[in-house]
Order: sequence, then structure tokens, then C-alpha cells
Amino acid sequence: MLIPLSYTLRSLFVRKSATLLTVFGIGATVAVLAGVLALRAGFTSLFSSSGRDDIAVFIRQGASSEGESGITRETCDRIIKTLPQIAREGGPEGTPLAAMECYLAVRRQKADGSGETNVPLRGVQPASFAIQGDALRIIAGRKLTPGSDEVIVGQKLVDRIANSRLDDVVQVNTTPFRVVGVFACDGPSESEIWGDVERMMAALERPVANRVVAQLALDCQGDAFAAFAKQLTESADYKELLVMAKTERVYLAEMAGPLGTTLWYVSAVLSVIMGLAAIFTATNTMLSAVASRTHEIGILLSIGFRPLPIFLSFLFEALLLGLVGGAVGCLMALPVNGIETGTTNFATFTEVAFAFRVTPEVLWSAIRFALILGLLGGAIPAWKAARLAPTEALRRR
Amino acid sequence: MSQPMIRARKLTKSYLRGGETLTVLDGLDLDMDEGRFYALMGPSGSGKTTLLNLIGGLDQADEGDLVVAGADLAALDSSALARWRAANVGFVFQGFNLIPVLTAQENVELPLSLSPLSRKERREHARYALKLVGLDGREDHRPGQLSGGQEQRVAIARAIASDPKVLLADEPTGDLDRKSADQVLELLLRLNVEFKKTILMVTHDPHAAAYAGFTVHLDKGQLGCIETNPPRAVAARV
Amino acid sequence: MFNFKLVRRYLGKHLVRSLLTVASLMVALFLLCLLQAIVVSLDAGVRGAKRDRLIVQSAVSLFVDLPLNYQQKIGAVDGVESICKWQYFGGHFQDDEKGYFAQFATDFDTLFACYPEIEVVEGSKEALLADRTACIVGKSLADRLGWKLGDSIPLEATFFAKPDGSAWDFKLAATYRPTSTAMDGGMMFFRWDYLEETVKATRGETPGTGTYVFRTRAGADQAPIAATVEALFENGPQRVSCSTEAAFQAQFVSMYGNLPFFVSAIGGGVLVAIVLACINTMLMAFREQLHDAGILKAVGFTDGSVATLMLAQSLVLCGIGGFAGIGLAKLTEPVMQLMLTRFGVPYEVPAETVALASALTISIGLVAGVVPAWRARQLRVVEALRSVE
Repeated sequence: MLIPLSYTLRSLFVRKSATLLTVFGIGATVAVLAGVLALRAGFTSLFSSSGRDDIAVFIRQGASSEGESGITRETCDRIIKTLPQIAREGGPEGTPLAAMECYLAVRRQKADGSGETNVPLRGVQPASFAIQGDALRIIAGRKLTPGSDEVIVGQKLVDRIANSRLDDVVQVNTTPFRVVGVFACDGPSESEIWGDVERMMAALERPVANRVVAQLALDCQGDAFAAFAKQLTESADYKELLVMAKTERVYLAEMAGPLGTTLWYVSAVLSVIMGLAAIFTATNTMLSAVASRTHEIGILLSIGFRPLPIFLSFLFEALLLGLVGGAVGCLMALPVNGIETGTTNFATFTEVAFAFRVTPEVLWSAIRFALILGLLGGAIPAWKAARLAPTEALRRR
Repeated sequence: MSQPMIRARKLTKSYLRGGETLTVLDGLDLDMDEGRFYALMGPSGSGKTTLLNLIGGLDQADEGDLVVAGADLAALDSSALARWRAANVGFVFQGFNLIPVLTAQENVELPLSLSPLSRKERREHARYALKLVGLDGREDHRPGQLSGGQEQRVAIARAIASDPKVLLADEPTGDLDRKSADQVLELLLRLNVEFKKTILMVTHDPHAAAYAGFTVHLDKGQLGCIETNPPRAVAARV
Repeated sequence: MFNFKLVRRYLGKHLVRSLLTVASLMVALFLLCLLQAIVVSLDAGVRGAKRDRLIVQSAVSLFVDLPLNYQQKIGAVDGVESICKWQYFGGHFQDDEKGYFAQFATDFDTLFACYPEIEVVEGSKEALLADRTACIVGKSLADRLGWKLGDSIPLEATFFAKPDGSAWDFKLAATYRPTSTAMDGGMMFFRWDYLEETVKATRGETPGTGTYVFRTRAGADQAPIAATVEALFENGPQRVSCSTEAAFQAQFVSMYGNLPFFVSAIGGGVLVAIVLACINTMLMAFREQLHDAGILKAVGFTDGSVATLMLAQSLVLCGIGGFAGIGLAKLTEPVMQLMLTRFGVPYEVPAETVALASALTISIGLVAGVVPAWRARQLRVVEALRSVE
């Protein structure tokens, strides 16, 4: 025989102030966790959702990012022109769909005057645009003219970084570049400045490029690409190239890795520490709920209820407390959804802009966490209630 | 004796109950002399407890004058009233009203902590009071470890610890069995006879009232007659 | 004090509840100290920066090197005393799991002249000059990775990778400890000539250096010196920016973007949760003590002293929990230092954090106690006595 749920609901309602305070306490805890998880979701989805499996990124062997990489022009040329794994436009004799790119984190002032940050400056070739296809859209101005001192900027930079608006001048060492367009695309590129690779390398006085990016031929995708990537680093044929290849998806995931992991650790540590405090609070509330109803428990026991239903009734009350707290926490976390922020991704040492994303997974994690808080907070009080001796309980008021 | 210990004139007190004004005391006049033991009787709702609370300074009247132990209670603010209570009245309640977390000794010392007495003097006073109520040896018991009668005697010890002029008892035997009740009543009588305390005891039990020298009847917020009771054999025994 | 006895007894009567409240406060204050310490530690370098040092770096990027002849040109500017180079090496230690640390190529004699706060703990400056592959590392770093003097330290190079991909070898010749927060205690320095010769031999090119650091003559006005240095290279080949050490460090702090704000937001969440928990506890205590409060008033305690009794309970409870948490944060400082230096984040619980946390603790105690105290004060004796516990 179970105790009616209405009994539990009424009990939560009667003890209004304790219930409310506990609910908001758990809510604040859950909101913080949901906030950190939403930050992580926003950051990782920026990198993971945009990478493609049919694009390859070539960087120097041993380099962990393109910033660390360096590939000579000759090597780039050989990769682009000779590798049959790279798709060509208009048949086997057409132009290879591959581009040599240079990359440098340049110092830029933030638009809000709060100091300096590092913005990725990328030198590209016409093929870079061809590879991106429709994913990259010019939303203001026009594309850059090859060979000219012009740049286009990712739309995320426009409001964040000084001198990133149309017709502004981006000074690169001694050379001024004019902003002729603003582009949008999914992924971290939206926080980059793009210019002509030759002009960039000249302005920066850099003798080497950083990477080659290529559209893979249809027969060199999936497993075929994995085999090719293995050959590239192990076979004697490619030894002197000294490069390795990854799909764009893998490469971007690696760029998100360290910060993503750090944020995961942060959320874990916060959950444990704040969770402890929340569990203690819930335990307190439930203990006082049990104490104030000791007499009632005595009556229930004396009219024939078994200890188990009493245990379950209090545990359910605690779970309900957790659930409502979790819901409140989720509601408090919802407004952060979509808020834009930027932080330096230490994998590339450049700032990326991204938005908090309160995804269903984030909310589900938060609710699960809240239920665990309720469960752990309710266990001891419920056990205590179930173990009361009826005569003793009846005597206490 | 020129000045009565308790003197009330046109005392009025009403409460709001469920949106209606309920007049409990309606222009009551009362004089009680020092060193006497009064029993206050009357049907439920006649205003006995209200009158007791007003006299003890736990509550204040809406209208009228009330002078107790030389103080005009209407003129005192909340903290002055508290200080006055600490020095001039001792309370004994039906439900004993001891502080459960303190021992018997500590409960008795409680009002003394408001007096200028030293720590040592306080301890001695409290011991003496407990001895007087016959509870020496029980100093370190908590209220939960005592019987009802013993608890009430601790409460009496607390009420007399600071040597107040007036003792106010509200149904002090209401929760006690006959034997414990008699012990408590004899104790009150002894305090009246031996220590000249002015005592006002609310009760509905004629047997308890018989211990008092005078019985005052209260009905519908008005004072009835004051009867003089025959002297008790116990009184002679004390 | 009699009142204090009552406070103790009331808290002891519901020992489990008191302990749980104390524990949750301890945990919360520990977390607050931790978060605040991280935020404060982030700009420790800015606050510790030395006034007499200026940093020259590329105006374009952290990753662009300056030509070697800049050293002599900058050194010739009036007011510049000693100048040294710092070239970021960016190597990975064999086992990346053990964490990241920064390595720099420099000339030791000029480094020590510019950084008097580098205190050699083990080994000697002479040993550093005797071996071309010699290096000096922070004592804390050496301890963390279990290095002893004379150990060989292989580093996988990135920017300076050898064509055959082999590792660079360094020999641990000395360890240092910084005597000011301007210098990080977990870095590695090795000889410039080792870098230069190796790069020349394997790649046939001369490396540049990322930054130059110089000290100005005592009493010299730094702004014109910085302007002169920047003007020297206005037309290339590499434009430079010359800033104070504080401004240089600030650029790394500003990279964290909104991070300090988020950390504060988390701290705010913790604070809200814990204040609610304490109010909850104190309201429970108030409900239980309602009747007792009436008795105390009847016996002659004033409204004020009954209110004080409630407030005192709150303050004692929060005080114990809060200060235990602060103590815990201070106690775990060495452990946290060890954990966080792996991420290149310095960590210290400074006095200002302790002061702030103490103020918060007392505030929480006041906030949690004020409602019950006020209600206890307003309580009418007659009603309180009528109430059943």
C-alpha cells in the first residue's frame, strides 16, 4: 500500500518557505552547471558542426595546429599539383581544388577598448573559396580581388575587433589592407580575416606557408583517405614532403579539444563542489520535513503502513524538490542561450567568438543532476523516517 | 497599607478574531493587596488569562490604568516592560514553559542573568530556589528528564529566583495529577505565607482555589465578588 | 556569557542540521576563495610587473620574430641599460600528459642583468655558461617533473623542428626561484647560441627573436624611450611595439576575454545558493524556537536580546562554516598550485581574497539571521506562548 502522492504534494506546499528556499538553492546550483555546459556546447559545436569529411588539411608533421606548422612553397606546389587524391575542377586535367594558405595570429585591439587580442589572419587562394563553395557567403561588400591588398573579414569580428568594418584599413606590418567585404560561414572561420596569400606572405615577410587545404577526390574519402593519410607519414614516397593530412572535421575537433576538455573538467569540479552544498541543504529541508511530521508518521505506522512506503514517500518528496529545483535552474539558465562571447582558444592562440547554446542535452544533464541532488539529499531523512518506531513517533509532537 | 499591589481601573482589552472585535475585558476595576494569595476563577473565555497577562506585563491594555508593584504599566515601552517583568513578577504556566535545551539549574538562573548579580551569586540563588521547591540533586537534569510535577516545581523555582513581589500562575496544576498538583499548591501557599509573596492564580479547579485566601470571580470581562476562603489546615502546617 | 550558552545549546540540539549547514558553507566559501583566487592570480603578472622594464615585440603578431640586429639598435637608444632577448621555443616535453611549460632561448648574462629577481637555487650561473645545451628551469617545474641537475631533457620542437624530426636535447644545469611575481616560476631558459647554431646548421637560416626586454636607466622617463624605439623601425622590416612590462602582461590577461566575468557569475550563483540555504536553516531554527523566545520574553528578556540570540546563532553557524572554508582554501593552496601550474595558471589565495571571503561570511551570517531576528523581535509573548512547538 503506497502513500498517496497528494500527501507529498500537500506537504511541500504547506512548508512553503522551506520548499521555495530549497528549490531556489538547487536552482542556482543547476543554473551554474547549465551555464558552463551551455558555454561548452556553444564552443564545441562551433568546431564540430562545421568540419567536413571531404576536405583535407595538410600541415607539417609534428605540428599540433596550423600556427605551429610551416610548409615551403615548393612542397605546397607538389602537394597541390601532383597528388591524385585531390579533386580537380572540370575533369582529370582541370585545376586542382586545393589552396596554399598562410596563417598568423595577429595582434588586434578589441572594439570595446578592453585591450588586445589575437585574431587569425589567413592568406588564401581562389581555390580556398571554391572548396568552401556555398558555405561561405559574402554578406556585405564583395569578394577580394586576387593579388591585391584587400581583405574580407568574418562577420563575428565586425563588432568585436577595432577596424573590422567595410572600408576600414587593416595594417599588416608596414602594408595597409582595405576591408572590401564581410563574410559569413559556419565554424570558427567566421572569426578570421582573409586576404590574398601572396600579398600576406609578402607583407609579413614570411617565407613559408602554413597549410594546404584541399577538396578530396570522390574515391579518396572515408577509409581511402585514412589509408592515404597513413601512407603520407609512413611511406618513403612521401617522406620528403614532411606533412600529414587530416580531414577538416578531425582537424577542427582537435582545435576544440583542449578548451572543450578544460570546460568539461570545470563543470565537473563545480558540479561536485556546488552539488555537495546543495545536497546538504536538501537534507536539512527533508530532515525538518520528517521532524515536523513525526507524529503523522506515527499515525501512518499505527494504522498499518509499512516502513517502505514511508521511505518511498519521503524519497519521492525529495526527488520532486530536486525536479522543481532543476526546472527552476533550467529556466534561469535559458536567457544565456545565444549570448555571444569570445575567449582565446589556446590550441590556436587566437580568439574565437561563439554563443552559449542551451541545447536539449544541456537541459537534460541539468535535470539529471538536479534529480541526483534530490535523491542524495532525501536518502538519509527518508531512511530516518522509515525507521521510526510507531509508539515513539506518536508520543512526539 | 495605603497602596494595593495590583490596581486596575476601567481596564479594557479586545481582540480581533476573524474580522470581529471580541471584547475580553470591559472596563474592569480591581484592587489586590500585597502579601495575599488570590485564586481567579471563571468560565472559559471570561478573560482570566488575558487579565493575568496584562497584570504580568506580557500584553498591554487598550484602555484604562493598571498599576502593578508601583509601576504604571501603560507608560512603559516594550524593553522597559521586559526589565520590569524581570525584577517584579514571576510566571508559572500550565505547560511549565521551561527552555528544553537548558538544565533545571540553568532554567532557574535564566531570569537572574538579567540581574546585576555575579555569576557565583546567581548560581547560589538558583541552588537555593531549587532546594526550596525540593529539587536539590536534580540541578543538572534537562526538563525532558523530569516528571510533570518536577518540571512545574522548576518553573516555580525560576519564578521566585529573582525574588519578585508578585507571582502569577496560569492553571499551574492543569496538566498535573492530583498528588503533584497538591505539592505545587502547597508550595505556592508556603511562598505566600512564609515569603509574603503576592500570588494570583488562574484556575477552574475549586480544590486548587481553596488553597488561596481569596477567590475572585470573573465573568464576561467583569469582576464578580471577591470571596474570603476559610483558612486551610495546610497553612497552619507551614 | 549566558546567551552564548543558549546559542551553543540550540546549535547542538540539531547537531546534524548545524553540521550540514556548516559543511555547505565551508564548501561554498572554499569554492568562492578558489574562484576569486584564480581571477586575482590571472593578472598577478600585471600587478607584479617591474616599472623599469620595457618589452619590445612585433607590432603585428606574437608569432612574428624580430631581426637580431634590432638588439644593438635598441641598446644604443639613450636611457636603455641592459637588453636581452626572449625567443619562445614552443617545444613539447615527451609526455604531454604531464603538462605544458614554456621554454625560451636567451643569453644568460643579459637575462640575469635584466631580471635580478631570478634567484638561482641549485647549480650555478657558471654551469650554465660551461655547456652549450645547458638550461635553467623553475624549481617548481623541476620538482613537478622529477628532474635532477645533470638530467637530459629532450624536447619535441615545433617552430624549430629539425628536418629529420629528431628531438632537441637540453641538459639541466641549474634551477631558479623568482623573488617577485613579475617572473613566472615554472619556465625553462636555454642558451641562444645553441638555438642559433642548430637552426643555422640544420636549416641554413638565422632565427630571429620574439621579444627584447630592456631595463631603463634609473629615473629615466620611459614614454619617450618607448616612442624612440618604435620610431626606429617605423618603416620596417618589422614594425615593433614597445610597452611597459605591465602592459605586456595585460595583453595576455585580456586574452581570457570574458572569463573573469563568467567566473564571477559562477561565484554569484554559489553565493545565492548558499545564502538561501542559510536562510532556510535559520527559519527552521526560528520556528522551533518560537515558543522558547516567548518564554525568554516572559521571564524578562528584552525584544533586542531575543533578536540578538537568533542573530548570534546565524553568525556562529556561518562563521564556523565560512572560516573553515577559507582555511581549507588556504590549506589546499600548495595542492592547487601544483594542479594549476600544469595549465600555466599561477595560483595563490591572496590576503585580499581572504578579507573578501571573511566579509562575505559575516554578511551571509547577517543576512540569514536578520529575518528570524526581526521576527523574534516583533514576536508577541502571548502568541508565542500559545504556539505549540
